[in-house]
Amino acid sequence: MATRSANMKGFFKQKKNTKSTSSKKGSSKRSPTNASTVGSNVTQPPALISHGSIDLKDDHDQAEEVLRQFDMNMAYGPCLGMTRLSRWERAQKLGLNPPKEVEILLKGDRASSECLWDGRV
Amino acid sequence: MEIDAPPPPAAALQRKQSAYLSLDETFQIRKETYRGQQYSQIYFARLHMMRTLLYSLVPNLKPHVPVCTVLGLEGGKECIIVGTLYKHMKLKPTILDEYSKERSAVPLVKLHNFMHPDDHLVLEDESGRVKLSGSLFSPASYVTGVVVALHGKETDAGDFLVQDVLEAGLPSQLEFPLKSREDKYVVLVSGLNIGSSTCNPLQFQLLVDHITGHLGDEQEQGIAAEIVHVVIAGNSVEIPRGILNRQNLASKDLSTLSEPIKELDILLMQIAAGLPLDIMPGPNDPANFSLPQQPLNKCLFPGSSAYNTFKSCTNPHCFELDNIRFLGTSGQNIDDLDKYSEAKNKLEFMERTLKWRHLAPTAPNTLGCYPFADRDPFLIESCPHVYFVGNQDKYETQMLKGSEGQLVRLISIPKFCETGTAVVLNLKNLECHTLTFGTSV
Repeated sequence: MATRSANMKGFFKQKKNTKSTSSKKGSSKRSPTNASTVGSNVTQPPALISHGSIDLKDDHDQAEEVLRQFDMNMAYGPCLGMTRLSRWERAQKLGLNPPKEVEILLKGDRASSECLWDGRV
Repeated sequence: MEIDAPPPPAAALQRKQSAYLSLDETFQIRKETYRGQQYSQIYFARLHMMRTLLYSLVPNLKPHVPVCTVLGLEGGKECIIVGTLYKHMKLKPTILDEYSKERSAVPLVKLHNFMHPDDHLVLEDESGRVKLSGSLFSPASYVTGVVVALHGKETDAGDFLVQDVLEAGLPSQLEFPLKSREDKYVVLVSGLNIGSSTCNPLQFQLLVDHITGHLGDEQEQGIAAEIVHVVIAGNSVEIPRGILNRQNLASKDLSTLSEPIKELDILLMQIAAGLPLDIMPGPNDPANFSLPQQPLNKCLFPGSSAYNTFKSCTNPHCFELDNIRFLGTSGQNIDDLDKYSEAKNKLEFMERTLKWRHLAPTAPNTLGCYPFADRDPFLIESCPHVYFVGNQDKYETQMLKGSEGQLVRLISIPKFCETGTAVVLNLKNLECHTLTFGTSV
Protein backbone atom coordinates (compact mmCIF):
# COMPACT_ATOMS: atom_id res chain seq x y z
CA MET A 1 0.00 0.00 0.00
CA ALA A 2 2.90 2.36 -0.46
CA THR A 3 3.09 4.76 -3.34
CA ARG A 4 6.26 4.23 -5.16
CA SER A 5 7.27 7.81 -5.77
CA ALA A 6 6.10 10.69 -3.67
CA ASN A 7 6.48 13.36 -6.30
CA MET A 8 4.45 11.50 -8.95
CA LYS A 9 1.25 11.63 -6.89
CA GLY A 10 -1.75 12.31 -8.98
CA PHE A 11 0.04 11.56 -12.21
CA PHE A 12 -0.18 7.79 -11.91
CA LYS A 13 -3.10 6.00 -10.28
CA GLN A 14 -2.14 4.91 -6.82
CA LYS A 15 -1.69 1.15 -6.95
CA LYS A 16 -1.94 -1.10 -3.95
CA ASN A 17 1.06 -3.23 -3.29
CA THR A 18 -0.32 -6.75 -3.80
CA LYS A 19 2.42 -8.60 -1.99
CA SER A 20 1.51 -9.46 1.58
CA THR A 21 3.98 -9.31 4.42
CA SER A 22 5.64 -12.54 5.26
CA SER A 23 4.08 -14.65 7.96
CA LYS A 24 5.24 -13.73 11.42
CA LYS A 25 5.12 -17.29 12.63
CA GLY A 26 7.21 -18.62 9.77
CA SER A 27 10.35 -20.48 10.74
CA SER A 28 13.25 -18.29 11.52
CA LYS A 29 15.42 -20.20 9.07
CA ARG A 30 13.64 -18.64 6.10
CA SER A 31 14.26 -15.02 5.32
CA PRO A 32 11.12 -13.13 4.38
CA THR A 33 11.21 -13.10 0.60
CA ASN A 34 8.01 -11.19 0.16
CA ALA A 35 8.29 -8.39 2.65
CA SER A 36 7.13 -5.04 1.43
CA THR A 37 8.75 -1.82 2.44
CA VAL A 38 6.22 0.69 3.56
CA GLY A 39 6.60 4.34 2.92
CA SER A 40 10.25 4.52 2.03
CA ASN A 41 11.69 5.57 -1.21
CA VAL A 42 14.85 3.55 -0.92
CA THR A 43 14.08 0.97 -3.57
CA GLN A 44 12.48 3.30 -6.02
CA PRO A 45 14.42 6.50 -6.11
CA PRO A 46 12.94 8.84 -8.65
CA ALA A 47 15.99 8.51 -10.86
CA LEU A 48 15.01 4.96 -11.80
CA ILE A 49 11.55 5.94 -12.87
CA SER A 50 12.98 8.03 -15.56
CA HIS A 51 13.50 4.89 -17.65
CA GLY A 52 9.80 4.86 -18.28
CA SER A 53 8.29 2.06 -16.25
CA ILE A 54 7.77 1.42 -12.60
CA ASP A 55 9.74 -1.51 -11.30
CA LEU A 56 7.04 -3.58 -9.61
CA LYS A 57 8.91 -6.81 -9.31
CA ASP A 58 10.41 -6.36 -5.89
CA ASP A 59 12.53 -9.26 -4.82
CA HIS A 60 11.88 -11.84 -7.45
CA ASP A 61 13.38 -11.96 -10.85
CA GLN A 62 12.68 -13.52 -14.20
CA ALA A 63 13.60 -17.02 -13.00
CA GLU A 64 11.26 -16.84 -10.05
CA GLU A 65 8.50 -15.64 -12.37
CA VAL A 66 8.90 -18.75 -14.51
CA LEU A 67 8.78 -20.93 -11.41
CA ARG A 68 5.66 -19.18 -10.15
CA GLN A 69 3.93 -19.83 -13.44
CA PHE A 70 4.90 -23.48 -13.02
CA ASP A 71 3.38 -23.48 -9.52
CA MET A 72 0.12 -22.00 -10.74
CA ASN A 73 -0.31 -24.35 -13.67
CA MET A 74 -3.19 -26.65 -12.76
CA ALA A 75 -2.17 -29.35 -15.21
CA TYR A 76 0.61 -30.46 -12.87
CA GLY A 77 -1.66 -30.69 -9.86
CA PRO A 78 -1.76 -28.80 -6.58
CA CYS A 79 1.49 -27.13 -5.56
CA LEU A 80 1.00 -26.81 -1.80
CA GLY A 81 2.74 -29.27 0.46
CA MET A 82 5.42 -30.36 -2.00
CA THR A 83 8.77 -28.99 -2.95
CA ARG A 84 8.90 -27.63 -6.51
CA LEU A 85 11.43 -30.21 -7.58
CA SER A 86 9.39 -33.16 -6.33
CA ARG A 87 6.33 -31.71 -8.08
CA TRP A 88 8.35 -31.43 -11.28
CA GLU A 89 9.53 -35.02 -10.89
CA ARG A 90 6.00 -36.20 -10.30
CA ALA A 91 4.83 -34.41 -13.42
CA GLN A 92 7.66 -36.07 -15.30
CA LYS A 93 6.75 -39.49 -13.93
CA LEU A 94 3.09 -39.11 -14.83
CA GLY A 95 4.03 -38.23 -18.40
CA LEU A 96 2.89 -34.60 -18.33
CA ASN A 97 6.07 -33.27 -20.00
CA PRO A 98 6.85 -30.36 -17.71
CA PRO A 99 9.14 -27.70 -19.26
CA LYS A 100 12.80 -28.55 -19.10
CA GLU A 101 13.84 -25.02 -18.17
CA VAL A 102 12.01 -25.32 -14.86
CA GLU A 103 14.11 -28.35 -14.00
CA ILE A 104 17.29 -26.51 -14.92
CA LEU A 105 16.29 -23.55 -12.74
CA LEU A 106 15.41 -25.77 -9.80
CA LYS A 107 18.57 -27.82 -9.98
CA GLY A 108 20.65 -24.70 -10.42
CA ASP A 109 20.14 -23.93 -6.71
CA ARG A 110 19.46 -20.23 -7.23
CA ALA A 111 15.71 -20.58 -6.95
CA SER A 112 13.50 -21.16 -3.96
CA SER A 113 12.70 -24.82 -3.50
CA GLU A 114 9.32 -24.26 -1.93
CA CYS A 115 6.22 -23.23 -3.79
CA LEU A 116 4.69 -19.80 -4.05
CA TRP A 117 2.21 -20.30 -1.22
CA ASP A 118 4.57 -21.93 1.21
CA GLY A 119 4.34 -20.27 4.61
CA ARG A 120 1.65 -17.90 3.38
CA VAL A 121 -1.36 -20.19 3.60
CA MET B 1 -1.29 -119.61 12.18
CA GLU B 2 -0.67 -116.67 10.03
CA ILE B 3 0.70 -113.60 11.57
CA ASP B 4 -0.21 -110.51 9.77
CA ALA B 5 2.88 -109.13 8.17
CA PRO B 6 3.72 -105.73 9.55
CA PRO B 7 2.68 -102.96 7.18
CA PRO B 8 5.47 -101.84 4.85
CA PRO B 9 7.33 -98.83 6.22
CA ALA B 10 5.63 -95.70 4.90
CA ALA B 11 7.76 -93.51 2.69
CA ALA B 12 8.17 -90.07 4.19
CA LEU B 13 5.69 -87.74 2.57
CA GLN B 14 7.22 -84.78 0.80
CA ARG B 15 5.43 -81.45 0.91
CA LYS B 16 4.87 -79.83 -2.46
CA GLN B 17 6.46 -76.50 -3.21
CA SER B 18 5.58 -73.51 -5.28
CA ALA B 19 7.42 -70.46 -6.56
CA TYR B 20 6.67 -67.35 -4.55
CA LEU B 21 7.13 -63.78 -5.72
CA SER B 22 6.28 -60.82 -3.52
CA LEU B 23 4.82 -57.71 -5.19
CA ASP B 24 4.44 -55.60 -2.06
CA GLU B 25 6.87 -52.93 -3.10
CA THR B 26 4.24 -50.34 -3.96
CA PHE B 27 2.72 -50.69 -0.51
CA GLN B 28 5.91 -50.19 1.43
CA ILE B 29 6.68 -46.75 2.76
CA ARG B 30 10.40 -46.38 3.12
CA LYS B 31 10.72 -42.83 4.35
CA GLU B 32 7.49 -42.15 6.15
CA THR B 33 7.41 -38.50 7.12
CA TYR B 34 4.58 -36.19 8.00
CA ARG B 35 5.73 -32.77 6.84
CA GLY B 36 2.25 -31.34 6.49
CA GLN B 37 1.45 -33.01 3.18
CA GLN B 38 -2.09 -32.62 2.03
CA TYR B 39 -4.36 -35.25 0.58
CA SER B 40 -5.01 -33.21 -2.55
CA GLN B 41 -1.83 -34.72 -3.97
CA ILE B 42 -3.06 -38.31 -3.80
CA TYR B 43 -6.39 -37.30 -5.31
CA PHE B 44 -4.56 -35.56 -8.16
CA ALA B 45 -2.44 -38.64 -8.84
CA ARG B 46 -5.54 -40.84 -8.75
CA LEU B 47 -7.54 -38.56 -11.06
CA HIS B 48 -4.68 -38.24 -13.53
CA MET B 49 -3.99 -41.97 -13.79
CA MET B 50 -7.65 -42.93 -14.05
CA ARG B 51 -8.51 -40.11 -16.42
CA THR B 52 -5.75 -41.08 -18.84
CA LEU B 53 -7.12 -44.60 -18.72
CA LEU B 54 -10.74 -43.56 -19.18
CA TYR B 55 -9.89 -41.24 -22.05
CA SER B 56 -8.42 -44.23 -23.85
CA LEU B 57 -11.46 -46.41 -23.15
CA VAL B 58 -14.23 -43.90 -23.85
CA PRO B 59 -13.77 -43.61 -27.66
CA ASN B 60 -14.41 -47.35 -27.95
CA LEU B 61 -17.63 -47.23 -25.98
CA LYS B 62 -19.08 -43.91 -27.09
CA PRO B 63 -17.30 -42.86 -30.23
CA HIS B 64 -19.23 -39.77 -31.26
CA VAL B 65 -19.71 -38.01 -27.97
CA PRO B 66 -17.25 -35.18 -27.23
CA VAL B 67 -15.26 -35.18 -24.01
CA CYS B 68 -14.91 -32.00 -21.98
CA THR B 69 -13.94 -30.72 -18.54
CA VAL B 70 -16.43 -29.70 -15.88
CA LEU B 71 -15.93 -26.00 -16.50
CA GLY B 72 -16.30 -26.54 -20.22
CA LEU B 73 -19.86 -27.83 -19.93
CA GLU B 74 -22.36 -26.11 -22.16
CA GLY B 75 -26.02 -26.20 -21.33
CA GLY B 76 -28.00 -28.82 -23.20
CA LYS B 77 -25.07 -30.27 -25.09
CA GLU B 78 -24.40 -33.97 -24.70
CA CYS B 79 -20.87 -34.77 -23.63
CA ILE B 80 -18.70 -36.96 -21.46
CA ILE B 81 -17.01 -35.68 -18.34
CA VAL B 82 -14.43 -37.49 -16.22
CA GLY B 83 -13.79 -36.70 -12.59
CA THR B 84 -13.76 -37.87 -9.00
CA LEU B 85 -17.10 -38.55 -7.34
CA TYR B 86 -17.91 -36.91 -4.06
CA LYS B 87 -20.91 -38.18 -2.14
CA HIS B 88 -22.52 -35.65 0.09
CA MET B 89 -23.90 -37.59 3.05
CA LYS B 90 -26.12 -36.04 5.65
CA LEU B 91 -25.40 -38.61 8.32
CA LYS B 92 -21.67 -38.89 7.82
CA PRO B 93 -19.99 -37.99 11.10
CA THR B 94 -17.87 -34.86 10.86
CA ILE B 95 -15.54 -33.34 13.40
CA LEU B 96 -17.58 -30.16 13.23
CA ASP B 97 -20.49 -31.84 14.97
CA GLU B 98 -18.55 -31.46 18.18
CA TYR B 99 -18.83 -27.71 17.84
CA SER B 100 -22.37 -27.50 16.57
CA LYS B 101 -24.83 -25.79 18.80
CA GLU B 102 -27.58 -28.36 18.48
CA ARG B 103 -25.56 -31.12 20.06
CA SER B 104 -28.47 -32.45 21.97
CA ALA B 105 -30.38 -33.07 18.75
CA VAL B 106 -27.72 -35.39 17.35
CA PRO B 107 -28.64 -38.99 18.06
CA LEU B 108 -26.19 -40.74 20.32
CA VAL B 109 -26.78 -44.12 18.72
CA LYS B 110 -23.80 -45.00 16.56
CA LEU B 111 -25.01 -46.04 13.13
CA HIS B 112 -23.43 -48.86 11.26
CA ASN B 113 -24.32 -47.48 7.87
CA PHE B 114 -24.43 -43.76 7.18
CA MET B 115 -26.63 -43.76 4.12
CA HIS B 116 -29.67 -41.56 3.80
CA PRO B 117 -32.15 -41.10 0.95
CA ASP B 118 -31.08 -37.46 0.58
CA ASP B 119 -27.47 -38.28 -0.32
CA HIS B 120 -26.38 -36.82 -3.60
CA LEU B 121 -23.30 -37.11 -5.77
CA VAL B 122 -21.05 -34.41 -7.12
CA LEU B 123 -18.43 -34.84 -9.83
CA GLU B 124 -15.21 -32.92 -9.42
CA ASP B 125 -12.08 -32.31 -11.46
CA GLU B 126 -9.41 -29.61 -11.30
CA SER B 127 -11.56 -27.03 -13.00
CA GLY B 128 -14.73 -27.35 -10.97
CA ARG B 129 -17.53 -29.47 -9.64
CA VAL B 130 -21.04 -30.19 -10.77
CA LYS B 131 -23.97 -31.78 -8.97
CA LEU B 132 -25.24 -34.96 -10.53
CA SER B 133 -28.84 -35.90 -11.07
CA GLY B 134 -30.62 -38.62 -12.94
CA SER B 135 -32.98 -41.37 -12.00
CA LEU B 136 -30.87 -44.26 -13.24
CA PHE B 137 -27.84 -43.15 -11.30
CA SER B 138 -28.31 -44.17 -7.72
CA PRO B 139 -25.88 -42.74 -5.16
CA ALA B 140 -26.37 -45.87 -3.07
CA SER B 141 -23.76 -47.87 -4.95
CA TYR B 142 -21.09 -45.18 -5.16
CA VAL B 143 -18.70 -43.66 -2.65
CA THR B 144 -16.45 -40.62 -2.53
CA GLY B 145 -13.18 -41.11 -4.32
CA VAL B 146 -14.24 -43.19 -7.32
CA VAL B 147 -13.14 -41.85 -10.71
CA VAL B 148 -15.71 -42.44 -13.46
CA ALA B 149 -16.70 -41.09 -16.85
CA LEU B 150 -20.26 -39.82 -17.14
CA HIS B 151 -22.25 -39.36 -20.29
CA GLY B 152 -25.01 -36.80 -20.08
CA LYS B 153 -25.81 -33.15 -20.40
CA GLU B 154 -26.09 -30.06 -18.29
CA THR B 155 -29.62 -29.04 -17.35
CA ASP B 156 -31.05 -25.57 -16.92
CA ALA B 157 -30.91 -25.99 -13.16
CA GLY B 158 -27.11 -26.20 -13.42
CA ASP B 159 -26.67 -29.83 -12.56
CA PHE B 160 -25.58 -32.65 -14.79
CA LEU B 161 -28.20 -35.14 -15.90
CA VAL B 162 -26.51 -38.51 -16.17
CA GLN B 163 -27.53 -40.79 -19.01
CA ASP B 164 -24.82 -43.39 -18.66
CA VAL B 165 -21.93 -44.30 -16.38
CA LEU B 166 -18.67 -45.63 -17.74
CA GLU B 167 -16.45 -47.35 -15.24
CA ALA B 168 -12.94 -48.48 -16.07
CA GLY B 169 -13.89 -52.13 -15.78
CA LEU B 170 -11.60 -54.98 -14.83
CA PRO B 171 -7.95 -54.41 -15.75
CA SER B 172 -6.20 -56.78 -18.11
CA GLN B 173 -5.05 -60.04 -16.63
CA LEU B 174 -1.99 -62.12 -17.29
CA GLU B 175 -2.91 -65.50 -18.59
CA PHE B 176 -3.68 -68.15 -16.02
CA PRO B 177 -0.84 -70.67 -16.16
CA LEU B 178 -2.34 -73.94 -17.30
CA LYS B 179 0.75 -76.03 -16.91
CA SER B 180 0.23 -76.62 -13.18
CA ARG B 181 -1.71 -79.84 -13.38
CA GLU B 182 -1.36 -81.08 -9.84
CA ASP B 183 -3.41 -80.15 -6.81
CA LYS B 184 -1.70 -77.58 -4.65
CA TYR B 185 -3.52 -75.84 -1.87
CA VAL B 186 -3.23 -72.46 -0.22
CA VAL B 187 -4.77 -71.92 3.20
CA LEU B 188 -6.26 -68.46 3.87
CA VAL B 189 -7.26 -67.62 7.42
CA SER B 190 -7.94 -64.40 9.30
CA GLY B 191 -9.29 -63.04 12.57
CA LEU B 192 -7.44 -65.44 14.87
CA ASN B 193 -7.77 -62.93 17.75
CA ILE B 194 -5.34 -64.80 19.97
CA GLY B 195 -5.47 -63.41 23.46
CA SER B 196 -9.17 -62.63 23.35
CA SER B 197 -11.41 -64.16 25.98
CA THR B 198 -13.78 -65.56 23.37
CA CYS B 199 -11.08 -67.29 21.36
CA ASN B 200 -10.61 -71.00 21.89
CA PRO B 201 -6.92 -71.75 21.51
CA LEU B 202 -7.64 -75.38 20.70
CA GLN B 203 -9.24 -74.45 17.38
CA PHE B 204 -6.15 -72.76 15.96
CA GLN B 205 -3.93 -75.49 17.38
CA LEU B 206 -6.02 -78.04 15.49
CA LEU B 207 -5.60 -76.02 12.31
CA VAL B 208 -1.84 -75.83 12.81
CA ASP B 209 -1.67 -79.55 13.49
CA HIS B 210 -3.64 -80.30 10.38
CA ILE B 211 -1.52 -78.07 8.16
CA THR B 212 1.75 -79.47 9.50
CA GLY B 213 0.55 -83.03 9.12
CA HIS B 214 0.36 -84.00 12.77
CA LEU B 215 -3.28 -84.98 12.55
CA GLY B 216 -4.88 -87.99 11.06
CA ASP B 217 -3.72 -91.04 9.19
CA GLU B 218 -1.62 -91.31 6.07
CA GLN B 219 -4.35 -90.28 3.73
CA GLU B 220 -5.04 -87.12 5.69
CA GLN B 221 -1.34 -86.41 5.91
CA GLY B 222 -1.17 -86.80 2.16
CA ILE B 223 -3.78 -84.08 1.79
CA ALA B 224 -1.86 -81.85 4.18
CA ALA B 225 1.32 -82.41 2.17
CA GLU B 226 -0.35 -80.69 -0.76
CA ILE B 227 -0.72 -77.41 1.17
CA VAL B 228 2.02 -75.15 -0.18
CA HIS B 229 1.35 -71.79 1.48
CA VAL B 230 -0.49 -70.21 4.40
CA VAL B 231 -1.70 -66.59 4.46
CA ILE B 232 -2.96 -64.99 7.66
CA ALA B 233 -5.03 -61.96 6.69
CA GLY B 234 -5.03 -59.71 9.74
CA ASN B 235 -6.30 -59.48 13.33
CA SER B 236 -4.08 -62.21 14.62
CA VAL B 237 -3.86 -60.87 18.16
CA GLU B 238 -6.15 -59.10 20.52
CA ILE B 239 -4.17 -56.98 22.92
CA PRO B 240 -6.02 -56.21 26.17
CA ARG B 241 -6.34 -52.50 25.57
CA GLY B 242 -8.14 -51.88 28.84
CA ILE B 243 -4.80 -52.10 30.58
CA LEU B 244 -3.43 -49.25 28.51
CA ASN B 245 -6.12 -46.92 29.81
CA ARG B 246 -4.95 -47.20 33.40
CA GLN B 247 -2.81 -44.56 35.02
CA ASN B 248 0.24 -46.65 35.77
CA LEU B 249 1.53 -49.72 34.03
CA ALA B 250 2.89 -52.22 36.52
CA SER B 251 5.49 -54.66 35.30
CA LYS B 252 2.89 -57.39 35.63
CA ASP B 253 0.75 -55.44 33.15
CA LEU B 254 3.59 -55.30 30.65
CA SER B 255 3.83 -59.06 30.59
CA THR B 256 0.04 -59.32 30.26
CA LEU B 257 0.18 -57.04 27.24
CA SER B 258 2.77 -59.16 25.49
CA GLU B 259 1.18 -62.54 26.27
CA PRO B 260 -0.96 -62.75 23.11
CA ILE B 261 1.98 -62.00 20.82
CA LYS B 262 4.13 -64.63 22.50
CA GLU B 263 1.38 -67.19 22.15
CA LEU B 264 0.98 -66.31 18.47
CA ASP B 265 4.73 -66.60 17.93
CA ILE B 266 4.78 -70.12 19.34
CA LEU B 267 1.94 -71.19 17.07
CA LEU B 268 3.41 -69.52 14.00
CA MET B 269 6.75 -71.19 14.67
CA GLN B 270 5.08 -74.55 14.25
CA ILE B 271 3.69 -73.53 10.87
CA ALA B 272 6.84 -71.75 9.67
CA ALA B 273 8.89 -74.85 10.43
CA GLY B 274 6.95 -76.68 7.78
CA LEU B 275 5.89 -74.38 5.00
CA PRO B 276 5.93 -70.74 3.83
CA LEU B 277 3.76 -68.42 5.85
CA ASP B 278 2.65 -64.82 5.17
CA ILE B 279 1.22 -62.72 7.95
CA MET B 280 -0.58 -59.45 7.24
CA PRO B 281 -1.46 -56.77 9.81
CA GLY B 282 -5.11 -56.01 10.49
CA PRO B 283 -7.09 -53.24 12.16
CA ASN B 284 -6.43 -54.61 15.68
CA ASP B 285 -2.82 -55.64 15.25
CA PRO B 286 0.20 -53.76 16.61
CA ALA B 287 0.96 -52.03 13.33
CA ASN B 288 0.35 -48.53 12.03
CA PHE B 289 -3.23 -47.41 11.60
CA SER B 290 -3.33 -45.82 8.18
CA LEU B 291 -3.29 -47.81 4.98
CA PRO B 292 -1.09 -49.25 3.59
CA GLN B 293 -0.25 -50.92 6.88
CA GLN B 294 3.41 -51.75 7.14
CA PRO B 295 4.62 -55.27 7.93
CA LEU B 296 4.52 -56.34 11.57
CA ASN B 297 7.93 -55.91 13.09
CA LYS B 298 10.10 -59.02 13.12
CA CYS B 299 11.02 -58.37 16.75
CA LEU B 300 7.47 -59.34 17.69
CA PHE B 301 8.15 -62.85 16.42
CA PRO B 302 11.56 -63.86 17.73
CA GLY B 303 10.93 -67.54 17.24
CA SER B 304 9.19 -67.50 13.87
CA SER B 305 11.41 -64.96 12.18
CA ALA B 306 14.33 -67.33 12.55
CA TYR B 307 12.78 -69.33 9.71
CA ASN B 308 13.13 -67.98 6.21
CA THR B 309 9.66 -69.31 5.43
CA PHE B 310 8.15 -66.70 7.73
CA LYS B 311 7.29 -63.50 5.92
CA SER B 312 5.73 -60.43 7.46
CA CYS B 313 3.78 -58.58 4.76
CA THR B 314 1.97 -55.32 4.19
CA ASN B 315 -1.75 -54.82 4.13
CA PRO B 316 -2.84 -54.79 1.23
CA HIS B 317 -0.76 -57.75 0.13
CA CYS B 318 0.03 -58.72 -3.43
CA PHE B 319 2.05 -61.76 -4.41
CA GLU B 320 2.37 -64.47 -7.02
CA LEU B 321 2.43 -68.20 -6.41
CA ASP B 322 3.42 -70.23 -9.46
CA ASN B 323 2.52 -67.20 -11.59
CA ILE B 324 -0.97 -66.96 -10.14
CA ARG B 325 -1.51 -63.44 -8.85
CA PHE B 326 -3.07 -62.95 -5.43
CA LEU B 327 -4.28 -59.62 -4.06
CA GLY B 328 -5.91 -59.19 -0.69
CA THR B 329 -6.55 -56.99 2.31
CA SER B 330 -7.42 -57.49 5.95
CA GLY B 331 -10.89 -56.09 5.44
CA GLN B 332 -10.65 -52.36 6.15
CA ASN B 333 -11.42 -51.33 2.57
CA ILE B 334 -14.57 -53.44 2.24
CA ASP B 335 -15.80 -52.63 5.74
CA ASP B 336 -15.51 -48.95 4.95
CA LEU B 337 -17.45 -49.38 1.72
CA ASP B 338 -20.11 -51.13 3.75
CA LYS B 339 -20.53 -48.07 5.93
CA TYR B 340 -21.03 -45.65 3.07
CA SER B 341 -22.80 -47.62 0.37
CA GLU B 342 -24.86 -50.74 0.00
CA ALA B 343 -24.65 -53.98 -1.92
CA LYS B 344 -26.25 -57.38 -1.68
CA ASN B 345 -23.16 -58.99 -0.18
CA LYS B 346 -19.49 -58.36 0.48
CA LEU B 347 -18.53 -59.99 -2.80
CA GLU B 348 -20.40 -57.27 -4.64
CA PHE B 349 -18.28 -54.62 -2.91
CA MET B 350 -15.19 -56.52 -3.97
CA GLU B 351 -16.44 -56.71 -7.53
CA ARG B 352 -17.01 -52.94 -7.52
CA THR B 353 -13.50 -52.20 -6.30
CA LEU B 354 -12.13 -54.28 -9.16
CA LYS B 355 -14.34 -52.54 -11.70
CA TRP B 356 -13.31 -49.15 -10.36
CA ARG B 357 -9.69 -50.42 -10.45
CA HIS B 358 -9.11 -49.07 -6.98
CA LEU B 359 -8.65 -51.12 -3.81
CA ALA B 360 -9.80 -48.49 -1.35
CA PRO B 361 -11.66 -45.60 -2.99
CA THR B 362 -12.79 -44.18 0.34
CA ALA B 363 -9.17 -43.57 1.34
CA PRO B 364 -8.27 -40.88 2.40
CA ASN B 365 -11.79 -39.53 2.90
CA THR B 366 -13.06 -41.90 5.57
CA LEU B 367 -10.31 -44.50 5.65
CA GLY B 368 -6.97 -43.50 7.08
CA CYS B 369 -4.22 -43.39 4.49
CA TYR B 370 -0.65 -42.12 4.25
CA PRO B 371 -0.51 -38.83 2.28
CA PHE B 372 1.28 -40.01 -0.84
CA ALA B 373 2.35 -37.16 -3.07
CA ASP B 374 3.50 -38.74 -6.26
CA ARG B 375 1.34 -41.85 -6.69
CA ASP B 376 -1.73 -43.71 -5.56
CA PRO B 377 -0.63 -47.22 -4.58
CA PHE B 378 -4.16 -48.58 -4.33
CA LEU B 379 -4.80 -48.42 -8.08
CA ILE B 380 -5.10 -51.92 -9.47
CA GLU B 381 -2.96 -52.12 -12.59
CA SER B 382 -3.19 -55.81 -13.37
CA CYS B 383 -6.16 -57.99 -12.58
CA PRO B 384 -5.40 -60.60 -9.92
CA HIS B 385 -6.45 -64.22 -10.31
CA VAL B 386 -7.44 -64.42 -6.65
CA TYR B 387 -8.81 -61.48 -4.67
CA PHE B 388 -9.39 -62.06 -0.95
CA VAL B 389 -10.65 -59.98 1.94
CA GLY B 390 -10.20 -61.03 5.57
CA ASN B 391 -12.11 -60.56 8.81
CA GLN B 392 -15.56 -60.84 7.35
CA ASP B 393 -18.63 -62.27 9.02
CA LYS B 394 -19.12 -65.26 6.78
CA TYR B 395 -17.44 -67.27 4.08
CA GLU B 396 -18.50 -66.37 0.55
CA THR B 397 -16.89 -67.01 -2.77
CA GLN B 398 -17.61 -66.34 -6.41
CA MET B 399 -15.90 -66.54 -9.76
CA LEU B 400 -16.03 -63.18 -11.49
CA LYS B 401 -15.86 -62.97 -15.26
CA GLY B 402 -14.57 -59.85 -16.97
CA SER B 403 -15.42 -58.46 -20.38
CA GLU B 404 -12.07 -59.49 -21.84
CA GLY B 405 -12.15 -63.00 -20.49
CA GLN B 406 -10.59 -62.27 -17.13
CA LEU B 407 -11.47 -64.74 -14.38
CA VAL B 408 -11.09 -63.75 -10.76
CA ARG B 409 -11.82 -65.87 -7.72
CA LEU B 410 -13.33 -63.58 -5.05
CA ILE B 411 -13.02 -64.87 -1.50
CA SER B 412 -14.45 -63.42 1.68
CA ILE B 413 -12.54 -65.02 4.58
CA PRO B 414 -14.54 -65.34 7.81
CA LYS B 415 -13.19 -64.55 11.26
CA PHE B 416 -11.58 -67.70 12.58
CA CYS B 417 -12.24 -67.00 16.25
CA GLU B 418 -15.98 -66.81 15.64
CA THR B 419 -16.51 -69.44 12.97
CA GLY B 420 -13.55 -71.80 13.28
CA THR B 421 -13.37 -71.76 9.49
CA ALA B 422 -10.36 -71.38 7.23
CA VAL B 423 -10.49 -71.24 3.44
CA VAL B 424 -8.52 -73.65 1.27
CA LEU B 425 -7.90 -72.74 -2.37
CA ASN B 426 -6.76 -75.19 -5.03
CA LEU B 427 -4.19 -73.61 -7.32
CA LYS B 428 -4.96 -76.00 -10.15
CA ASN B 429 -8.47 -74.73 -10.89
CA LEU B 430 -9.01 -71.92 -8.33
CA GLU B 431 -11.72 -73.85 -6.53
CA CYS B 432 -12.34 -73.15 -2.88
CA HIS B 433 -13.53 -75.14 0.05
CA THR B 434 -13.61 -74.53 3.77
CA LEU B 435 -11.88 -76.23 6.64
CA THR B 436 -13.85 -75.94 9.85
CA PHE B 437 -12.73 -76.99 13.29
CA GLY B 438 -15.29 -77.49 16.01
CA THR B 439 -14.35 -77.97 19.60
CA SER B 440 -17.70 -78.28 21.27
CA VAL B 441 -18.34 -81.68 22.72
